[in-house]
Amino acid sequence: MAYKDFRDFLDTLRKEGQLLTIEDEVMPEPDLGSAGRAINNVSDKSPALLFTNIHGYQNASVAMNVIGSWPNHALMMGLPKNTPVKEQFFEFARRWDNFPVPVKRMDSAPFQEVEINQDVNLFDILPLFRLNQYDGGFYIDKACVISRDPSDPDNFNKQNVGIYRIQVKGRDTLGIQPVPQHDIAVHLRMAEERGENLPVALAIGCEPVITTMAAAPIGYDQSEYEMAGAIQGEPYKVFTLPGTNLDVPWGAEFILEGEILAGVREFEGPFGEFTGHYSGGRSMPVIRIKRVYHRKNPIFEHLYIGMPWTETDYMVGVNTCVPMYQQLKDAFPNEIVAVNAMYTHGLVAIISTKKRYGGFAKAVGMRAMTTPHGLGYCKLVIVVDETVDPFNLPQVMWALSTKMHPAHDVIILPDMSVLPLDPGSNPAGISHKMILDATTPVAPETRGHYTQPLDAPLATEKWEKIFQDLLSNQ
Amino acid sequence: MTTCPRCDSTKAEAVAKSPVQGAWTVYTCPVCFYTWRSTEADKFTEPSKYEPSFKVNQADIPNAIQVPTVPSRTNH
Ligand SMILES: Cc1cc2nc3c(=O)[nH]c(=O)nc-3n(C[C@H](O)[C@H](O)[C@H](O)COP(=O)(O)O)c2cc1C
Ligand SMILES: [Mn+2]
Ligand SMILES: [Zn+2]
Repeated sequence: MAYKDFRDFLDTLRKEGQLLTIEDEVMPEPDLGSAGRAINNVSDKSPALLFTNIHGYQNASVAMNVIGSWPNHALMMGLPKNTPVKEQFFEFARRWDNFPVPVKRMDSAPFQEVEINQDVNLFDILPLFRLNQYDGGFYIDKACVISRDPSDPDNFNKQNVGIYRIQVKGRDTLGIQPVPQHDIAVHLRMAEERGENLPVALAIGCEPVITTMAAAPIGYDQSEYEMAGAIQGEPYKVFTLPGTNLDVPWGAEFILEGEILAGVREFEGPFGEFTGHYSGGRSMPVIRIKRVYHRKNPIFEHLYIGMPWTETDYMVGVNTCVPMYQQLKDAFPNEIVAVNAMYTHGLVAIISTKKRYGGFAKAVGMRAMTTPHGLGYCKLVIVVDETVDPFNLPQVMWALSTKMHPAHDVIILPDMSVLPLDPGSNPAGISHKMILDATTPVAPETRGHYTQPLDAPLATEKWEKIFQDLLSNQ
Repeated sequence: MTTCPRCDSTKAEAVAKSPVQGAWTVYTCPVCFYTWRSTEADKFTEPSKYEPSFKVNQADIPNAIQVPTVPSRTNH
């Protein structure tokens, strides 16, 4: 089952009681950013927000927090909204294995209803607003950014779809933050080495599966569209923008078409980031927008980002755990049970594994740090037994408190790579990393009094079932 | 021309007026790229009230580190 477009998903959220429409007038600042922050403070089952009356605008609609809770994430996958996170993880991993699913090409797209190709003024076209108090400006932070590999432009698999923060700096000018490890930075480097601008398209207001894949660390030559097809179980619909070789999500509300200017860097930021800290001001690439398409009565989608948890954390939770899980399973297929890399995008990760022999769990921790995502994250990896659910933090704390011996189980690796946005890294991009082995020692590592683990009383499972039924009928 | 609340340049200009007439104006600064709306609290719109630790010194702007750095041209 697949959502046709963004509006189709909003309709499902509405039917499921997971969309709150706010028709009272709100101020662009500080109301919209504050509401995006507040909705995640008050609930972990929070609905999406749709604002339809924004001071000074006529007919503007702003959607936020669309994937901003586990129920909304489950609905993104077409699962019942109360599906536990661990089950969402295993279902995501199962569908991941169906990659690649070829795309479906469309001849026209709804966003062709309105086309603006001169005197583009993004401040007039989009209901932009400031999120956090000391953000340098108004941002677009949930656009799928599409680009092609300039050295291999006909290769569909190397076409990239990613989410990168975008500052609106002038009527037709944007700033973008391509972290050097990410695919768009690879495309940009090639273009700049040739002295060429890099054509890009920004798709705003997409159905949630492509947004989830755009934020997932998949391989350079793996197509986000073909992975979206695997996750939604149906070919993903794309439309080739006229006059370009860029394939964009067919159902998008807005498309911004332009180029990253070769060799240009300009002051950008600061911006409140997912680390819960501002990023500082840096010199970053610039995009010039030439053309904008949008649907009639378009909905501008944005999100709140800041100290976890926010919508960003739900967006980069399961889609980051699963590739790391797959990569660890490639190395240790019979041992790896589950991976929870959801804390600050995997700066802290928890891995549940069986052990082959003493020392094995520590090797698993080191392997996590050498996965593509781990190179910039995994500052702390906690390894737990296969019987511990890594998504259940009280169980993880129990493992740490009883299985971990500080003299044997704490491994510190000096001066490893980490993403520069980690505010503790010093210099930016370098940090020590740590493995905490909270698994039960196995031979030849015999230590501690672990031979008498406590089992639950015999009929516990029967009683769990009884209570679940009784409670769900209340 | 208007004064930028963040870097104090006098080159900021209006880039948009509200679709509903008279509700607000958006300004941007071409020096530090700060953007603000006239209806924001005065600590975001007035140079003397902008949070000092987030002020931008114009002299520092050319020294901001590049992310990502510009590679050198190669011939293809
Ligand atoms: C809300 C949000 C904002 C993000 N901002 C950035 C950003 O500014 N720069 C960046 O390189 N990655 C950013 N990311 C992370 C990338 O989208 C993510 O790592 C993705 O896997 C990159 O894909 P790629 O490997 O195809 O480039 C952001 C993710 C989300 C969800
Ligand atoms: Mn990619
Ligand atoms: Zn300024």
